[in-house]
Amino acid sequence: MNPRAQSAIAGIALYGTTAAVLIFFYVPIFTLIAFSFQEGRYLTLPLDGLSLKWYGALLDNAGARQALGNSTVIAAIATLFATAIGTVSAIAAVRYRFRGRAGFMGLAAAPLAFPQLLLGIMLLLWFSVLGRWLDFNMGLTTAIIGHVVCITPFVMVIVAVQVFTFDPTLEDAARDSGASNWQVYRYVTLPLLWPGIFSAAIFAFLLSWGNFYLTYSLAGSARTLPTFVFAGIAVGSSPLYPAIATVIFIPGLVLVILADRLRRRAAAA
Amino acid sequence: MTEDTVARSWSDPALLWKALPAVLLQTACFLAPLGMTVALTFQTTKSFQLTWTWNLATWTDVFSRAHYWTTLLHTLTMAGLCVALCIGLALPVAYALATRLQAFKNQVTVLITFAFLTDTTLKTFGWAMFLDRTGVANYLLKEIGIDTGGASILFSDWATMLGMVYNLLPFAIFTIYISIEAIDRALILAAYDAGASKFRAFWEVTLPLCRPGIWAGAVLIFLLAVGVFLEPKVLGGGKSPMSAELIRQTFETRVNWPLGAALTLVLMVVSVFVVLLFSRVYRLQRGRGLL
Repeated sequence: MNPRAQSAIAGIALYGTTAAVLIFFYVPIFTLIAFSFQEGRYLTLPLDGLSLKWYGALLDNAGARQALGNSTVIAAIATLFATAIGTVSAIAAVRYRFRGRAGFMGLAAAPLAFPQLLLGIMLLLWFSVLGRWLDFNMGLTTAIIGHVVCITPFVMVIVAVQVFTFDPTLEDAARDSGASNWQVYRYVTLPLLWPGIFSAAIFAFLLSWGNFYLTYSLAGSARTLPTFVFAGIAVGSSPLYPAIATVIFIPGLVLVILADRLRRRAAAA
Repeated sequence: MTEDTVARSWSDPALLWKALPAVLLQTACFLAPLGMTVALTFQTTKSFQLTWTWNLATWTDVFSRAHYWTTLLHTLTMAGLCVALCIGLALPVAYALATRLQAFKNQVTVLITFAFLTDTTLKTFGWAMFLDRTGVANYLLKEIGIDTGGASILFSDWATMLGMVYNLLPFAIFTIYISIEAIDRALILAAYDAGASKFRAFWEVTLPLCRPGIWAGAVLIFLLAVGVFLEPKVLGGGKSPMSAELIRQTFETRVNWPLGAALTLVLMVVSVFVVLLFSRVYRLQRGRGLL
């Protein structure tokens, strides 16, 4: 086979698979968007007609509004903690040599490879026993702690990639010019790492926002959007749920594009 | 990288304040719960109440019921198949992303990232709507002239597998993509110069060099796949339960914490053992130059 024919075959196979996988990724997403405009009560094709009435129903649904509020609060607080802890541990793991470094990295990243349902159950047991001693119940706080535990490793990995490409001589230069440790962080380290930290924060927010398993175990009677949807699937669905999905997609897509911009700007710098 | 790292001791505040938060967090909320889960397996429940007794009743129960083990075997088989499918699909996509799609690379990355980060419950629910007997798939097939007579793969192991591959595939794409990106292009060009064809260069240079990415993706997907619960429930219809569902039922329906804790540990230990076994086989093979 001549090289050009080989190249053509390889190209078709590669582009073909990529296109097929992209279509595969968007099948359920477009299904949800399409059904959110269904006029009738049932999730079957052909659509009875196009309407926005399920979006209206969504606004009137107190449970959905509450779930939206809970999701936002949990994701915002969890993002703050996960980003802070993940960032400093990434700097420690990449920049420093110290005793027990491998152990530190293993421990800090462990929840990444632990099934979330099982992590949720373990934390549920843990908080139940602690709660009996210290008298607290499952609720938003325990859900936030669970989210921080499982999202921090993601932040650490993303920021570590950024720290890896960071030139430490810039810090030395600042220090030689008489900057204090805090000034070096404030004016050199953080600005250079900022794009990576910010895109990690967006990742963290979306992971927490869409987290089902940990919330399901740890939020007690409080509902977030994923658990609200799960409960709804169980009792028979209406186009209300596709409408929720479509509403959630918009900020998600905006944030992902923003994160990508920042990551590319960081790569270019 | 090594020449840029700075030696620090744990008494150095610069290291301490950076490393300690993660250590405290994961010790208090990962290691400690894990330890307590182990301790719980030696307790018993009486009329839905946990009593601290320290005996082996739960473990004798676990090892005497075949049902737990057939469920576990089913879970491991599904997870293994899921890993194979994900790696097979992720390799060409990651390769195309790293070497071919210059113009659309960022758009494709954004599309994959968005699909990955979108609420898993919703996407799984979307698949259920798509695959339903009266859903989109059957409707579209009918429109193009194929009447399936209302047959559907929803509520079968196939639908569960589809959902698992769907939700876990991005992990493999990301890890393999990163390792292909890290390959020095000069090595591939050197292979071409030495007269290797594109396929041969891929087979003998690119593939061996991106093995760490393949391996990382495979381990991550396997460990996450043994714990799936949404897909067998929503797409599999709960017909052939996997270990995670069994564990959830043990906690929620039967309120048997010691048994649930024991089943959780068995699942984790067996999965980690499988990973270690494969990494050993893999190293032996590499030692012999087979892979």
